[in-house]
Amino acid sequence: MALNILVVDDSAVMRKMIIKTMGMCGIPLGEIKQAANGKEGLEELGKNWIDIVILDINMPIMNGEEMIDEMKQDSEIKDIPVIVISTEGSSTRIERLKEKGARFIKKPFTPEIIRDTIYEVTGVGEGDE
Amino acid sequence: MNEKIDNIILKISAETLEKLVFMFASPYDPEESTEQDPDTGASVSFTGPFSGTLGMKVSGEVLSEIAVNMLGVDDEDETTPDDQNDALKETINIICGNILPVIGGKEAVFNIDAPMIIPEGEDIKERDGEKLVSDAKLSLDEGRCDLVLFVNGEIPD
Repeated sequence: MALNILVVDDSAVMRKMIIKTMGMCGIPLGEIKQAANGKEGLEELGKNWIDIVILDINMPIMNGEEMIDEMKQDSEIKDIPVIVISTEGSSTRIERLKEKGARFIKKPFTPEIIRDTIYEVTGVGEGDE
Repeated sequence: MNEKIDNIILKISAETLEKLVFMFASPYDPEESTEQDPDTGASVSFTGPFSGTLGMKVSGEVLSEIAVNMLGVDDEDETTPDDQNDALKETINIICGNILPVIGGKEAVFNIDAPMIIPEGEDIKERDGEKLVSDAKLSLDEGRCDLVLFVNGEIPD
């Protein structure tokens, strides 16, 4: 099963790096959508079928935590798995994100952590197409 | 200057550069160094239990190498100045995010502002009330990386 993935990060270079990393480590990729903040991310979720959201936290206009809160209010998108990839180092904030159902990966990340976390939250495994 | 903070910044910056962009760093030795002085930089400010600004300046080929490695392209011609600035901002953002829990405590909540590029030829500037607590330098194969930390408030022991 190919995964449609939305990558939300205000850094265009980091979005490219995450997308390249996912491609390199064999994740079966479908359509990849990008957004530069939470507001744009919600708009993409409204227009596209997305299997998983990769989300930064510190972003202008609408941050990642606010985007998760908005997603939880919408029955159409509340169950889409969210993986937060962030520089966030506060255990207080990381616990709060986990309580909201998000998985957390700290930057800098390795390809293996991204691959394993995506496989865990989607149930999709190596060799799936 | 605070030697303990210098060492934390050097260790975390070296680890971040290695993991993020595959660049290997060693402590700067002015007697052996032949690198150019850094000329391109970025800074990021933060607020929390204490506030401050972390600045980073790089020399030589470091800026383009960071962008090339982050984007996974073959050479500098495949990156734009915007890519290079964005890559430098993301790098300092990640270094700052990893330094703060070590010097401020894991449970401390900090808000990190958007990183900013320092125009060429300008120094990294502190904000009102901030004092220089660390001035650390790394040598890389491609050039040098200088880091400064300004803080307003008390850093916990």
